[in-house]
Amino acid sequence: MKTAGAAARRSRWINLASFTVLLLLWVAITTPLPGGEPLVAPLFLPSPGSVFDTLLMLMRNGYQGKSLSVHIGISLFRFGVAFVLSVLVAVPLGLWMGMNQTAKAILDPPIEITRPMPKLALLPLLIIWFGIGEVSKIVIIALALFPILSISAMQAVAGVGRRKIQAAMALGASKGMIFRRVIFPASLPGIFTSIRVSIGLGVTMLVGAELIATSSGIAYMAMSASDFLLTNVVIVGVLIMAVLGYTLDLLARSVEKRIVHWGGKEG
Amino acid sequence: MTLPAGVANVKARFEGVAKRFGSGADAVQALEPIDIDIMENAFVCLVGPSGCGKTTLLNILAGFETATAGRVLMDGEPVQGPDPRRGVVFQQGALFTWMSVLDNVAFGPIAIGKSRAEAKAIAGQYLEMVGLTSFSHRYPYELSGGMQQRVGIARALANDPEILLMDEPFAALDAQTRELLQEEIKRIWQSTRKTVLWITHSIEEALFLATDVIVMSARPGRIKARFRPAFALSKDPTVVASVDFMQMKAEIFGLLREEALAAQHQEATR
Repeated sequence: MKTAGAAARRSRWINLASFTVLLLLWVAITTPLPGGEPLVAPLFLPSPGSVFDTLLMLMRNGYQGKSLSVHIGISLFRFGVAFVLSVLVAVPLGLWMGMNQTAKAILDPPIEITRPMPKLALLPLLIIWFGIGEVSKIVIIALALFPILSISAMQAVAGVGRRKIQAAMALGASKGMIFRRVIFPASLPGIFTSIRVSIGLGVTMLVGAELIATSSGIAYMAMSASDFLLTNVVIVGVLIMAVLGYTLDLLARSVEKRIVHWGGKEG
Repeated sequence: MTLPAGVANVKARFEGVAKRFGSGADAVQALEPIDIDIMENAFVCLVGPSGCGKTTLLNILAGFETATAGRVLMDGEPVQGPDPRRGVVFQQGALFTWMSVLDNVAFGPIAIGKSRAEAKAIAGQYLEMVGLTSFSHRYPYELSGGMQQRVGIARALANDPEILLMDEPFAALDAQTRELLQEEIKRIWQSTRKTVLWITHSIEEALFLATDVIVMSARPGRIKARFRPAFALSKDPTVVASVDFMQMKAEIFGLLREEALAAQHQEATR
């Protein structure tokens, strides 16, 4: 255990060093050389310091009449509603498909046909159907998450060890009890994996959805700032989205660790 | 059943049970028609080469699979699906990983309608029987393989089944753990006299534990020989070193070797 701890600590130091080198590299190529100009012009890559100043400025003044927290809030709202809706609908449907051959036969074709389709391609159509408001953005994100979540839930059910189900049957459990206390918990690790995958994809879809027909949101901020060559604002936007994605993943991971404590372990 | 005292009941009976997997040209005959009587309080061991249909036989009695021909009776009634009167212990990976050890064992009593408090009390009792009281609130993955199997045994016993079906429960354990658990099973069997159908690859295990050893042939499974060792009634763990034990072991070893070679030949010519 001691050596494992030492190895983990060593890895963390290397992580930190690697991060520091990248940051120093960024500083090096954006700091003015003795001749006067930096290696990379600020228009293409502003220095970390000036990006930080821009962040403070945006926090004080907002962007295009909306405060930074409103932009972040609206992005989180779009993602959050789409994510929660997809989980609440797709996971139960997937579980049902895993349990019931008829349900699978009915739902498999629509899911399998639409699965490989790039969902962003549907955005123009969704705008016609739902307008340029929040609904079309939420729907486009949810559409992308839906197949991942439902198919994973279905496969998680299919992957439940046959012996565990037989054991429950031999102990006299009813079908309902077998589902509630065996199949559902046994499927949770698989479901959580797909939830984490869908967070990454959901943030990507959020960016796609905010590039068109909106005047709020973090991705919108970055996109419109790019029109005015406000590189600093673009980078602040990109970094906020990165932090957002990372934080959501951390959150999901800690929830997963708490609920699915047995994940990956056999007994 | 009302039989004169001293006359043993037939607890479970296989009547011409046969099993064929698949259909048409690809069909595989797993079991030839087989007749076995499992007497009440007996400890019956099935030994045979891999693929001889031992597990299929157990699964049919458990109600997990159906026979292609013949029928299986328990207490004279045909078996129709799994039933809590038949407890099953599996090789590995059958514990509910997300439940504490106590909840695993309490699962059966709850399933058959006991209250939660009652079920936990029963579970506590059986965990004590297998010596795991102090691990009640651990999870299965925190336990060694041998302890996990003891949980599996306690879980199967918690419903107080009339027959225990055990499918190579110790096959994945190391030799020392296996020997200790065999002694424990013997102790439990000697004190409860539960009827047992036990499947194993190990001749020693069969002779050490069983009142009836049934040797099966390579696929399609048939009964090749039956033995009635008396070592199960002994409380002496060193009985395995006795001359009688060795002789019977050698005899069964010879029978199984023929079958294992036949099974290998089948594999090679398939």
